[in-house]
Amino acid sequence: MGRQIVHRIMISFPALLGVLFLCFLLLQVVPADPAMIIAGPDASAATVAAIRLELGLDRPIPVQFIEYIGRVLQGDLGRSIISNKAVSEELAHTIGPTVELMIGGLLIAIPLGITLGTLAAVRRGSLVDRAIMAISVAGVSMPIFFIGLVLIQYVGFKWDLLPFTGRTGPIWAGGLPSLILPCLTLGSVLIGPIARLTRTAVLEVLGADFVRTARAKGLRETTVIVGHALRNAMIPVVTLIGLQAAYLLGGAVVTETMFSWPGVGRLAVGAIISSDFPTAQGAIMILALAFLSINLIVDVLYVYLDPRMQRG
Amino acid sequence: MTAQSLAATAAQPAADTPDAEAGVMSRSGLLRRLARDRVAAVASLVMAIIILSAVFAPWISPYDPYEIDLARVMMPPDAINWLGTDNTGRDILSRLIYGTRNTLMMGLVGVLFGGFLGGVMGILAAFYRRLDGWIMRIVDILLAFPAILIGLAVAAIAGAGITAVVIALVVATIPDVARVARGAAIGVMEQEFIEAGRALGVSDFTLIWRYLTLNCISTIFVFLTLRFGQIILIGSALSFLGMGAQPPTAELGMMASQGRDFLFMAPHIATIPSLAIFVIVLTANLLGDAIRDVLDPRLQQ
Repeated sequence: MGRQIVHRIMISFPALLGVLFLCFLLLQVVPADPAMIIAGPDASAATVAAIRLELGLDRPIPVQFIEYIGRVLQGDLGRSIISNKAVSEELAHTIGPTVELMIGGLLIAIPLGITLGTLAAVRRGSLVDRAIMAISVAGVSMPIFFIGLVLIQYVGFKWDLLPFTGRTGPIWAGGLPSLILPCLTLGSVLIGPIARLTRTAVLEVLGADFVRTARAKGLRETTVIVGHALRNAMIPVVTLIGLQAAYLLGGAVVTETMFSWPGVGRLAVGAIISSDFPTAQGAIMILALAFLSINLIVDVLYVYLDPRMQRG
Repeated sequence: MTAQSLAATAAQPAADTPDAEAGVMSRSGLLRRLARDRVAAVASLVMAIIILSAVFAPWISPYDPYEIDLARVMMPPDAINWLGTDNTGRDILSRLIYGTRNTLMMGLVGVLFGGFLGGVMGILAAFYRRLDGWIMRIVDILLAFPAILIGLAVAAIAGAGITAVVIALVVATIPDVARVARGAAIGVMEQEFIEAGRALGVSDFTLIWRYLTLNCISTIFVFLTLRFGQIILIGSALSFLGMGAQPPTAELGMMASQGRDFLFMAPHIATIPSLAIFVIVLTANLLGDAIRDVLDPRLQQ
């Protein structure tokens, strides 16, 4: 098992290098010369040349890339062009809210999705099944901002039930109300796919011999479904929820932008629109790293959950 | 009965649009079989209407989608402007028709280019086993970037615009298609006729094209139709974030984003384009599922 996990970590290294190279590239193609920006508009050519030398901008690109990796490893992601704060500092403030939003979204989507999916599988072919699957297809086809717009317009504005701009603070300091609408928005796009995947997984398990045995033993149907079928169906479901990480991440970027949620996604979008390249590079890097880590954790969890995976 | 036969005739132009796939279509009697399923028939009909209105946008739009009329700003739907007007008095129905055109084009170009590149990569990986490791490593790296992130990165590097979104959609399509194509091609490679072709001294090019690609193409095509809805969703999300089409271009995601500023005064400006995206994606997903069931039930998992 240990060997497999090590192997899994090894194969994520090329991807990691790819992420770093893309972020490095982002700083290279900046239309403006960083040395000129630092030197200011009135600086002489000699000053600009001196700064360029100081920044190492005269060295070949591969050398600069290696130096860039060195700086990233030390946590130095440069300074924001707009606020002049260290990018790492800006990121540190935004990671918490993004994680909060993602966990909140998952806490809504996973229980609901699994319940709906199991219900649909158990009542296969019935009206309940068809209704749940219809909701699921509709959910998969819904642009996330549509759900956000409806929630903002009705729950937030018309009925004035919950706040819909910004984050009032951490959950323990009365921040819960401002968290609800963004989490609902993000969670709602995940319910459909999770329900669909759970249904398939449970249906597969329901046909297995051990379920028939459990029924033949005279176990109650609830015990058969929850204790035997759902438990075994969880293995594929965990992996497949991991595959939704891309949805989760993309959804978080849109949700944060809509609700002025002070997370990494909103930071990235704002930085790109205002051509703040160092900040954009840092935010994109963090999002990509988060995605890589989620996939890694899910893969490791999969090996752990399914003993059959540990062989071979 | 009449609805079904109507759908069968109406769906004709919809299915004929991608020329390359015409062979796949006719060979399996796809349209006839789609018409038998009620959901698929309705989805074909709706998709036909969507595509036709996108193609004939200049002829069916009641107004110029870019004409500003400050005398009629943020009007709710009425007899003059069937879907109302936006914050500068432009006709929303006309912008919706043109917006559908731009959004569909964006998704179509993304899926076709990405499908082509991914398909070539997958098939080459299956044929030349020496390349397999390298190609799949590239695919793994591409998979490490969710589509939205690719879009953000491309927009940051090249500047926001439709091109940035299309590039992102192409890159986002490549890895999944490459995997599906490789899987299908490896299955075909195990068939005896490949060995027979080799024994006959058939050139690599002919083997790849006539023996391998033609046997995988329907699987790739089915996968692309299944992906199309998601690609449209990703593209419109990027537009919504301001990474795609720039004003005044009519594009559905961007129209929704612009309408957000007037959500409380005139909710229809943002809601109508969002609803349109939903209908397009839903139709594409239902149609994709139906096409899969008919053409390649093996993909169903």
